[in-house]
Amino acid sequence: MGSSVSHAATPPPSIPPPPQHAVGLAGVLPPKSEEKSERKVNWLNLPCPVPFEEIQREALMSLKPELFEGLRFDFTKGLNQKFSLSHSVFMGSMEVPSQSSDTIKVPTAHYEFGANFLDPKLMLVGRVLTDGRLNARVKCDLTDNLTLKINAQLTNEPHFSQGMFNFDYKGKDYRSQFQIGNNAFYGANYIQSVSPHLSLGSEVFWLGHQRKSGVGFAARYDTDKMVATGQVASTGIVALSYVQKVSEKVSLASDFMYNLMTRDVTSSFGYDYILRQCRLRGKFDSAGCVAAYLEERLNMGVNFILSAEINHPKKDYKFGFGMTVGE
Amino acid sequence: MASRVSSKGKGKAARGSRGSGGRWTGRCVKEWSTWAMKKAKVITHYGFIPLIIIIGMNSKPKPQLSQLLSPV
Repeated sequence: MGSSVSHAATPPPSIPPPPQHAVGLAGVLPPKSEEKSERKVNWLNLPCPVPFEEIQREALMSLKPELFEGLRFDFTKGLNQKFSLSHSVFMGSMEVPSQSSDTIKVPTAHYEFGANFLDPKLMLVGRVLTDGRLNARVKCDLTDNLTLKINAQLTNEPHFSQGMFNFDYKGKDYRSQFQIGNNAFYGANYIQSVSPHLSLGSEVFWLGHQRKSGVGFAARYDTDKMVATGQVASTGIVALSYVQKVSEKVSLASDFMYNLMTRDVTSSFGYDYILRQCRLRGKFDSAGCVAAYLEERLNMGVNFILSAEINHPKKDYKFGFGMTVGE
Repeated sequence: MASRVSSKGKGKAARGSRGSGGRWTGRCVKEWSTWAMKKAKVITHYGFIPLIIIIGMNSKPKPQLSQLLSPV
């Protein structure tokens, strides 16, 4: 923080103006823009930080694409600017969590119908599956700064439904959130910008039925070229991530997670290429798992998706393909 | 279910006779809020998607009913 202020004091070196008729590489590269003037940091006017749950969003977007196994077909039909319906078919294997180290895959096929209403002030998203499960998301701007978010998964089986209410308040250079969930879950978090690039946050939660509570701290340092985050929680988890934006089209990300209770260490490295006609994400991690996810734009609104995940130690090979039609 | 109802009745009578109104109202509130949550869950489960469709069909520019049902 102090170093950025001291750099502002030294004047930037002057650059010679580019030649009129550019030769060689200079003709291909864009002209060097004026040096970004290092303004004195205005400590009273810091930018608003990202929400606490999105503190690792760049790393999650690059390292955790929605890998799947089987066939996936999504069709989104827009009826007007705000309202659209979606039909989605999935046929493949879903993994069932098991106690032993073997992976248990259950072949499933389902059709999902969804309706979306997107307004600047109100967003309603609902998805219902053939077995009666409903996924509902509501986001409502009660005032300019206060937002209510509701997230619910309702099932026909009793005691398996989940719901969460979030109240978000956005201040000038801070954000705070209060959460109420089923099973008497209460949580609150707060994040504050302490410098133009650094923001610090903390969260507490309380699980009523199991009488568990926890505290966590997080920090995020971001510039135009990189984002570094760190999170520590009293549940014994330490998570660090680093994303470097190498160019407009390429980002590299890495992620490290350490669980103090179970002494589990996981580290993964990935890349994210955002090109004109496709988006390719790949990663490999310390558990011996290599994955890749490709979204290729065949035509306006038609995307072809390929997903692959190879887990070498467990000998689990998952390949999937699909198509997305509509926005 | 029958035993639950009878024990509820006995409990209420005993509490009423003892005169501790505070505990009885607290229990009432908890039972009514559980009942309300169950009803709200069923209503949301069946009514959320129709609600989105109704709000969407009434938004401007108003889409046609045929657009809702046709696959194209």
